[in-house]
Amino acid sequence: MTLKEVADLLNCNVLSGEDDLDKIAVESVGASDLMSDVLAFGSPGMLLITGLNSPQCVRTAAVVGACGVLVVRKREVLDNTVKLAKDLGMPLLYAPTSMYKACGVLYSQRLKDARELNG
Amino acid sequence: MMQPTTDKSSIDSLLEKLGEYFADMPASELMNPNVLTMSKDRTLWHTKELMRIRKISGVPIVDQKRRLIGLVSIEDIIVALENELIGERIEKHMTRRVVTVAPDETLTSVVAKFNRYRFGRFPVVNSEGTLLGIITKKDIIGAILERFRLMYVHDERRKSALEGTTEWFEKSLISGDYVEKDSANFAFNIDYTDVDMVGIGAAELKKFLIARGLDEQSVRRISIATYEAEVNVVIHSGSEGTIYCWMENGKTVKVRVEDTGKGIENIEQALKEGYSTASDHVRELGFGAGMGLSNMRRCSDKMMVMSEVGKGVVVEMIFEISGGKKDDSERSN
Repeated sequence: MTLKEVADLLNCNVLSGEDDLDKIAVESVGASDLMSDVLAFGSPGMLLITGLNSPQCVRTAAVVGACGVLVVRKREVLDNTVKLAKDLGMPLLYAPTSMYKACGVLYSQRLKDARELNG
Repeated sequence: MMQPTTDKSSIDSLLEKLGEYFADMPASELMNPNVLTMSKDRTLWHTKELMRIRKISGVPIVDQKRRLIGLVSIEDIIVALENELIGERIEKHMTRRVVTVAPDETLTSVVAKFNRYRFGRFPVVNSEGTLLGIITKKDIIGAILERFRLMYVHDERRKSALEGTTEWFEKSLISGDYVEKDSANFAFNIDYTDVDMVGIGAAELKKFLIARGLDEQSVRRISIATYEAEVNVVIHSGSEGTIYCWMENGKTVKVRVEDTGKGIENIEQALKEGYSTASDHVRELGFGAGMGLSNMRRCSDKMMVMSEVGKGVVVEMIFEISGGKKDDSERSN
């Protein structure tokens, strides 16, 4: 599944990396608000779903080699988060849905669990 | 009972030397909890087979409640073979007066027992007599080596720090050599005033390492560990900090993150997963889950933390690049 398909499924606003979304394959998905948790379980190529809307979510995603970030739940994504995503070339999606729903929709698409992939 | 066939003298001297640093480690941490046992109703032949197949030199004998009632050693087996008693029940020939160790006995006490009794192993037994594990000299060395990966320095180096010199700030925690900060291949000053900036140093280091042609896997674990260290400086130290990185002959990468801030009051506690002194504000940013140091430990091959309250923290991490690559999936420790 590509990031573009994820964005369509969840009616996401694409805040960064729009042009390449259909070229990026989502290899697995992980969801957490705890960045330390993401650093611990994150696997390369994962899509990070988080309720965190500050720049840390993008930076953490970059460090673990995630393919993109999907911010959920929050009313908005901070400007400096969007700016950082653009600077780092990290696709950034936003959907005002709950994390539960976002995860459920993607899980039902049989996307893999990043945590399981990482042992 | 017999001694294991390892080079005894070198192990003994190693234990003596390391003993100073690990004197207070309890037996419960040293022992191997996965101990093979037998019931007294089996025959010595069964014990012999278990020893042969699993390459062990002694088998504790337990009752149905796993209480220790005896031990069969290789010596017992030899005697039984000589006297053609090997087909008889364990109960008749096992050693009944077994010297045991309590789970809270320290390494010092365990080593003293090895020296006094000359046995190859000591069962670890609680006050109810239940078998918890077994300790051989090999187990001790294994437990010490595991702890070596992360050693809280409270020996001479800590003493010199306490005496008012901040010499440890100038020296490598791992090698003891003077750190030549000028020679670092990478240096980054951490801005602690803006929490939103946290992680930039790690991101810069990542870029630098990629440009140097390091493999992806190594870059990833170095960046993750550095990120966590950087987060700690920003959210805990209340001071400026620096990230240094040295690439040594392409095989080893050393990262040192230091600050001159508040310091850590209790490193042992700080190392526990889930322990955190972070504020709610920091938690809202997705950090402060108490996983920082354990994440760093998981990603690095060697790590050492040195801190003194009011003087700051130095974290040194060694990453082996070729061959010694650590399996990133090793997370459940």
